[in-house]
Amino acid sequence: MDPTVPFDTAAGWLQEHAVLPALYWLGLMQWEDVGYGWALFAVYGVAQVALMYAVCLPLERWRPVERWPDQKAVTVDIIYTLISRIGLLPLFTFVLFYQLQVWLNGMLTDNGYVPPTLERLFPALLGQQALTFFLYVVILDFADYWRHRLSHRFAWWYDLHALHHAQRQMTFWSDDRNHLLDDIIGFVWFTAVALLIGIPPLQFPLLVLLLRLLESLSHANTRLRFGWLGERLLISPRFHRAHHGILAAGQRSCNYGALLPWWDMLFRTADFSRDYVPTGDPEAEEALATGSYAVQQAAGVRRMVRTLAGREAVG
Amino acid sequence: MCRCFGILLLGSLLGLLAHPAFARGTVLVVNSGAASLSVVDMTTRKEIRRIPVLREPHHVMLTPDRRDLLVGDTVGNELLDLDPDTYALRRRIPVADPYQLGFSPDGKLLVINGLARAQVDILDAASMKLVKRFPLKTMPSHMAFSPDGTRVFITLQGTNRLAALDLREMKVLYEVTVGKVPAGVLWLNGRVLVALMGDNGVAVVDPATGRVERIVQTGDGAHQLFLSPDKRILYVNNRVASTTVALNASDLTTLRVYPVPGGPDDIDFAPDGKLWITQRFAHGLATLDPATGAVDSIPVGRSPHGLIINPTAEATP
Repeated sequence: MDPTVPFDTAAGWLQEHAVLPALYWLGLMQWEDVGYGWALFAVYGVAQVALMYAVCLPLERWRPVERWPDQKAVTVDIIYTLISRIGLLPLFTFVLFYQLQVWLNGMLTDNGYVPPTLERLFPALLGQQALTFFLYVVILDFADYWRHRLSHRFAWWYDLHALHHAQRQMTFWSDDRNHLLDDIIGFVWFTAVALLIGIPPLQFPLLVLLLRLLESLSHANTRLRFGWLGERLLISPRFHRAHHGILAAGQRSCNYGALLPWWDMLFRTADFSRDYVPTGDPEAEEALATGSYAVQQAAGVRRMVRTLAGREAVG
Repeated sequence: MCRCFGILLLGSLLGLLAHPAFARGTVLVVNSGAASLSVVDMTTRKEIRRIPVLREPHHVMLTPDRRDLLVGDTVGNELLDLDPDTYALRRRIPVADPYQLGFSPDGKLLVINGLARAQVDILDAASMKLVKRFPLKTMPSHMAFSPDGTRVFITLQGTNRLAALDLREMKVLYEVTVGKVPAGVLWLNGRVLVALMGDNGVAVVDPATGRVERIVQTGDGAHQLFLSPDKRILYVNNRVASTTVALNASDLTTLRVYPVPGGPDDIDFAPDGKLWITQRFAHGLATLDPATGAVDSIPVGRSPHGLIINPTAEATP
């Protein structure tokens, strides 16, 4: 059986019995297709959260790097995760990306230029879902390496990104802990690349699910290494923890990659030597580390405005 | 290695020999959410082939001469020209946002609704060259031609309006408000019928003026309308109510209500009198026996939308 069937069935049920009646009642039936897009994102988002919980939590319990007397600081990361993977963010990004894709590619087609896609460049890829997805992942991961590296390079950008690094209790929930503006910049970055290579957002939902699991795992509070070769093929919790280490915070960091360590190796930012270092950003104000969602968001904006106004952000 | 290659080659040759009859007795279903087309065998009621396409196909249409089968891939910005005998891809035609397709009754014009780009393109069907583009706000979704082919009526889902285009003068005759979220549209007995997806029925519109004469209640989320081959029954699919309603085509009175789960969308009619219906949210292809009301479903790809039964059946003796 096609493994996507249970997810699609759940999304269809959600659409038919909850989203569609709600849209009808609200007089918004023209958005039924968008509603269905959200239902799919929500179902796969729930599956992502459930899967990362099922895989990462036992690992964190089994071989934790750190033990904390309480985990209050982790609660806000759970909120970030739910907003990012199930809530309005996917709906917003999906609608915006879809509109941009339709507008740009339609305009290109009108002018006699066929919009680029990997499958048009290599027609043999049509129907080869896993291989096509892998190629898309490699390209997007490369783009994300540079986005991430630049977010450390520019002081105003790092003021936002510091929110991600301020967490001293890093767990698998910390992957989605990002400032909203940082997420928006990331979305614009991703969209530009995705439009260039014509990535289909809903064509590979199961593979995206696995990808997000790996990204969550890389933040997990667990002593897990993939071995000499494995760590050079895929980013491990040990490798990514070095990026979150207190000595790596700020503008001169290492291990920027999200999924593949190849770009760090290629551009000489890889550091395989650091073992399970303490995490956090000693320069970041306390609100970024332990504040509520709103407090953290406000602190990020405040830091960025100060920097842009010519005053250094308060550490 | 060589033996394997030989077997593959033989298989391909046998496949080619088998091609002319391949499409007979099948249904082609357009899986809008799976970037694919499903080929379903009507006898065994099984999906026998999945054809990958680029991004997001929605509708399928046979050309008037029955020689080409066109599938519109909206996000892929292309029309796929398939061989109706074999479903083999013949060519890709770059077209911006081809959502809904329709040929004028004389077969000379191809009208393409671009729902996401809020445009209606009129193409010369022979050359596939753009004759005229009408920017229409917003979400042009379905179309119906007047029998003389001089006008095409387009529903504008985003603005609750119906547009009438003059295909001789290539101009907009009128845009009028007809009700909430107009979707399917059909010319019947000198009137234009418009399914109101944001409401619970079908608007009966005077085509000359665009005035709504009355609303015929069918069910919540009325979405699409189809006239039976004998032209005696009008079937209306209700997206929210998940029903297919049979109306008397002459006076639009309700004959029967059939529950069809999963958001029924497009319909095609089989020679045995059964209706084949795409179920957008159940990811299935339903068969409805109008005599008994029995509904069976065959799994296909995600969000199936357009479909066509046996496109070569009438042309093939």
